[in-house]
Amino acid sequence: MIYLKGIKKSFNQLPVLKGINLKIEKGEVVTILGPSGSGKTTLLRCLNFLEKPNAGLVQIGNIIVDAEKATKKEMLAIRKQSAMVFQHYNLFAHKTVVENVMEGLIVAKKVKKKDARQQSERVLDKVGLSDKLDHYPSQLSGGQQQRVGIARALALNPEVILFDEPTSALDPELVGDVLSVIKSIAQEGITMVVVTHEMSFAREVSNRVLFMDEGVIVEEGTPLEIFHAAKEERTRRFLQRISGETYFLPLKEQVN
Amino acid sequence: MGKAFDIMLIFEFIPTLIHYLGVTLQILAVSIILGFVLGIAAAIPRLYKIPLLNQLVILYVSFIRGTPILIQLFLVFYGLPALLMLLFSIDITRMEAIYFVIITYAISNGAGFSEIFRAAIRAVDYGQTEAAFSVGMTSRQNFFRIVLPQAVRIAFPNMANSVIGSLKDTSLAFTIGVMDMMGRGDTLIAATAHALEVYLSLSIIYYIVVLLFEKIFSKLEKYFNRYQKADVTAVA
Repeated sequence: MIYLKGIKKSFNQLPVLKGINLKIEKGEVVTILGPSGSGKTTLLRCLNFLEKPNAGLVQIGNIIVDAEKATKKEMLAIRKQSAMVFQHYNLFAHKTVVENVMEGLIVAKKVKKKDARQQSERVLDKVGLSDKLDHYPSQLSGGQQQRVGIARALALNPEVILFDEPTSALDPELVGDVLSVIKSIAQEGITMVVVTHEMSFAREVSNRVLFMDEGVIVEEGTPLEIFHAAKEERTRRFLQRISGETYFLPLKEQVN
Repeated sequence: MGKAFDIMLIFEFIPTLIHYLGVTLQILAVSIILGFVLGIAAAIPRLYKIPLLNQLVILYVSFIRGTPILIQLFLVFYGLPALLMLLFSIDITRMEAIYFVIITYAISNGAGFSEIFRAAIRAVDYGQTEAAFSVGMTSRQNFFRIVLPQAVRIAFPNMANSVIGSLKDTSLAFTIGVMDMMGRGDTLIAATAHALEVYLSLSIIYYIVVLLFEKIFSKLEKYFNRYQKADVTAVA
């Protein structure tokens, strides 16, 4: 279970999160939508203290941290509750595929090397990369790298996996592969928080959709509620723009 | 300079001179190792912006970069005994000249290395650190397991250049009376008056040693770059 209370964060006096309250149940898949600059990625990064909130409470599992007074030890403890999949993969460049997955197990979880390797191979098999174990990240395509990123997060068996726009940096034809991997692990009942621009993913996979704008959660609901019966004008406008229909209006007008 | 040029002398001098290559390499090795330690120590205040120390390191590096190594050598040779005498009344004027050379080159290498290390550590993508944190590593684990190994790769070519530069700079040691290859060459000139032949022999030896170093470094560089893009086809 994840619980956020009054999360505030500003960068150079510019408020990015203006007091976020949020509760996520175990096994839930939550997607966060919103225009760029709305604070969705910052919110995600506040969950594992890659950004330290200026104020508020963060709870993941049975670890509770008061952001204002967070010590290094507390931050480490709460980080170990989660794992993250990054937009730009951020695989350890000097380690092979299997070493990338093993690293967290060995260093943070103190798993024996042999066991770590076994577990890592199993997870890599799950994401369809058992033939690339000894490759370096630079030898893989973007889609393959991101699947390693997912395996690295999955291997840690965390309370929650945080996805930060996991398909935004990928070539369009590789997006499908990565999304289907994320879908399949979503169905295993792992708690996930996903920041994404993939509307189809939000619609088909998530239990709940949050729409953020200007540092607040404007609206939340099931995908059905958000995509078909959004209450807030801002949500409707955003979804309309994303769906692309209005894009061509000015052009049409010009043609006429 | 006196006598007629004799090409055979070049090769005759080589064995005599090469006998002192050990001294040259000794100066190089010790000053590189000390410079390495000093370089790390000096890079830390720069990386973590430790007040005062940071400014001191900036001054140290810019002074070393802005003055000729020959002058630094004399400054240490004359200055260090005077300073120690003044502060602690320790007399080191009888210390062997080679130690002054080693100290000078260590200080000089330290300044160069500190900048190389600093730049290399900064050059490692911050995403690597974030990933390390995201899997639950501490700052220390991140530094030693993730950042440092990648920084070594980035720093290596510059380090290699520094070492080769330093090897050539050791030829100045003879100016304060150290009997390295160059020092021995000096005495050979005094004894035979065949200056050109001696310098040609010396250039041959230095050149071959530098070529050897370059060969070794390029092998090492390949090893450090094994995970970089270059040889995708070899493994795939």
